[in-house]
Amino acid sequence: MLTLSNVKKGFGAHEIIKGISFQVEKGESFGLLGPNGAGKSTLISMICGLLPYGAGEILINGKLVGRHLKETKQIIGVVPQDIALYPTMSALDNLIFWGRMYGLSGNTAKTRAKEVLEEVGLTERAKGRIETFSGGMKRRINIGAALMHEPQLLIMDEPTVGIDPQSRNHILETVKTLNEQGMTVIYTSHYMEEVEYLCKRIAIIDDGKLIVSGTQRDLSNRLAGGRVLKLTVDSLRPSFIEQLKQLNGVEKVIVQPAEEIDVHLQSEMEIVSDVILLASRSGIAIHNMQLKEANLETLFLQLTGRSLRE
Amino acid sequence: MKKVLSICLFEIRRTFKKKSAFVLMFGMPLLFTFLFGSMFGNDTAVSFRIALVDEDQTSLSKDIIHKLMLDEMITYELVAASEAKELLANKEVQGIVRLEKGIATKLRNEEPAISFQPSPGMATAPLVKQQVNQAMQGVDVYVEAAQVGSLYFNESWESVYERLTENEGQIQVWTEQKTSTSTGNPMMGISYSSAGFSIMFVMIMMLSMTGILLEARQTGIWLRLFTTPVTRLQVMLGYFLSFFIVGWIQFFLLILLSSTLFDVNWGSPVALFLLVTALLLCVVGLGIAIAGFVKTVEQQNAIGTLVIISTCMLGGVYWPISMVPDAMQKIANFVPQTWAMEGFTTLITEGGTIGDILMPIAMLLGFAAIFLSVGLSRMKAV
Ligand SMILES: Nc1ncnc2c1ncn2[C@@H]1O[C@H](COP(=O)(O)OP(=O)(O)OP(=O)(O)O)[C@@H](O)[C@H]1O
Ligand SMILES: [Mg+2]
Repeated sequence: MLTLSNVKKGFGAHEIIKGISFQVEKGESFGLLGPNGAGKSTLISMICGLLPYGAGEILINGKLVGRHLKETKQIIGVVPQDIALYPTMSALDNLIFWGRMYGLSGNTAKTRAKEVLEEVGLTERAKGRIETFSGGMKRRINIGAALMHEPQLLIMDEPTVGIDPQSRNHILETVKTLNEQGMTVIYTSHYMEEVEYLCKRIAIIDDGKLIVSGTQRDLSNRLAGGRVLKLTVDSLRPSFIEQLKQLNGVEKVIVQPAEEIDVHLQSEMEIVSDVILLASRSGIAIHNMQLKEANLETLFLQLTGRSLRE
Repeated sequence: MKKVLSICLFEIRRTFKKKSAFVLMFGMPLLFTFLFGSMFGNDTAVSFRIALVDEDQTSLSKDIIHKLMLDEMITYELVAASEAKELLANKEVQGIVRLEKGIATKLRNEEPAISFQPSPGMATAPLVKQQVNQAMQGVDVYVEAAQVGSLYFNESWESVYERLTENEGQIQVWTEQKTSTSTGNPMMGISYSSAGFSIMFVMIMMLSMTGILLEARQTGIWLRLFTTPVTRLQVMLGYFLSFFIVGWIQFFLLILLSSTLFDVNWGSPVALFLLVTALLLCVVGLGIAIAGFVKTVEQQNAIGTLVIISTCMLGGVYWPISMVPDAMQKIANFVPQTWAMEGFTTLITEGGTIGDILMPIAMLLGFAAIFLSVGLSRMKAV
């Protein structure tokens, strides 16, 4: 369905995307994870043909994006990160307009708009103007506009930013259903839970590079024992940190600002008591201690030394 | 083409959804037309009543009075000083022109010899002053000539002046010149204001229409449009067509309304259609050009309004361009409104046909070409 090979992009001297490759198969749900500024939106802009890419290749159904823009754009439905709708027009009018832009005839667009309103659960608000909608409702119409032409590939750029839990659940449900009905989905987020819930396969990008990709199971295997012990201490004395690294079962120690230490643990080994013992022997007070279970968040932490969300 | 029409119709619907659009498009221009138009009286030449006081009472002052009275735009009442004050107090005249005592000496010494006192708070005071000054210019020429002559003929300049002005032919020349400068705009009042304010408010409306381009950028609609399989050309054509059609609807209704409400006769429909079309191309071009240089709708509004108001002033939208100094009239040639007004006055007052307004149309199309190419190239760059 979608193939990226060694895609690069720079703005001026800045290289924003530094050679990314991955594949998305037909019918898959693919999660693209990364912190703010990782390059997710930039990558999506290139896939949907808004931005020319600097190097590499992007193929959609075997068609090179850039050379067959009209065809590739017709295959994709894009949900932009920002709400791009006409505030003074009704939900129905907005949907019909975007349908027309995808080449639907007047009547088809009208019928489709009603179906889409049903899908996103806003049939009763069809005639309401977008500016009178809540943030969550706007997001739902924003998604709906990308569904008008029943795209083969749905690309969503953080579709749940800043909305209430109810709308969020509704959106997640909708996307899951669409995927189960056969639509290929690329879902971008920095919310782990959403990606874990929706996506079979996941790619994590940071600073324009693909750090890791694979199915959730693959990643979990890589995480075997990938727990992290987060410590908040009163002093980051180097000798203490050295000794921490020497402890049995510690894979890596990363010092964070604000007197925080992330201790990455190797396996299921019990180590907490050892850490406490070491601290008290070195005369260091532990203000707070937190054991984080292995998940995408801790994997990200492990791989980059930074947390996914600030 | 279907997509172009979809975009176009959608934008037109969006525009007419706003109630404020109607006020801007029709309410304001009609109101301004009415206010300005009635200030200048009816479609006849403007006429001001001015009290004229002759304190000098010499043959020279009488002669000047005679010349002043030739002016078509101003009606002078020759009265005594006290009566003049009374007339002014009763608002029966719009001002007093006073020929001061010893006018001959004063003129020779280039001292002010004629004073003008407008009625307080009279909005048209500058206009009257302008008119009086213009009439005086003719007198000045003779005074100067007489002065030079007196050196040659070795006689008093008053007698030279008298001899000079005795010659009817020369006076004729002078009056002819005067009338020929003012025939460019014998139309004032409602018709003139109708054309002027239609132009101005169509420009303001088109400014807000072209703001759609910036708004689309700001809201992300622009980007989203290009995630769909529409081409840049389709999008631009769609927008352009919508601006154009809205402009046409506005102009058409203004023409219709002003001819029913104010009895303005806009002249030959075909010629009018061509003129308005050329003007709209030019105005839409200007809007797009301005949009190309700014980032936000607010900036475009601020800069655009400034540009429109000032060029409207230059272009004789509010008052006939013949009333401003020559230098300004030259500058006005570089302002599209000047040509639009020329076209409209030709159609309205002289019953002109297409052939008579080819020049204004060509000039407007020229401006349109410049604005559009600047605007579109900027759009591409952004
Ligand atoms: N047009 C541009 N010119 C210059 N730099 C840009 C441009 N667009 C994006 N960038 C830079 O590229 C980087 C990646 O931006 P991008 O929007 O792709 O990140 P993101 O992963 O989507 O982040 P977020 O989670 O905040 O949406 C950022 O550092 C941004 O400053
Ligand atoms: Mg983004």
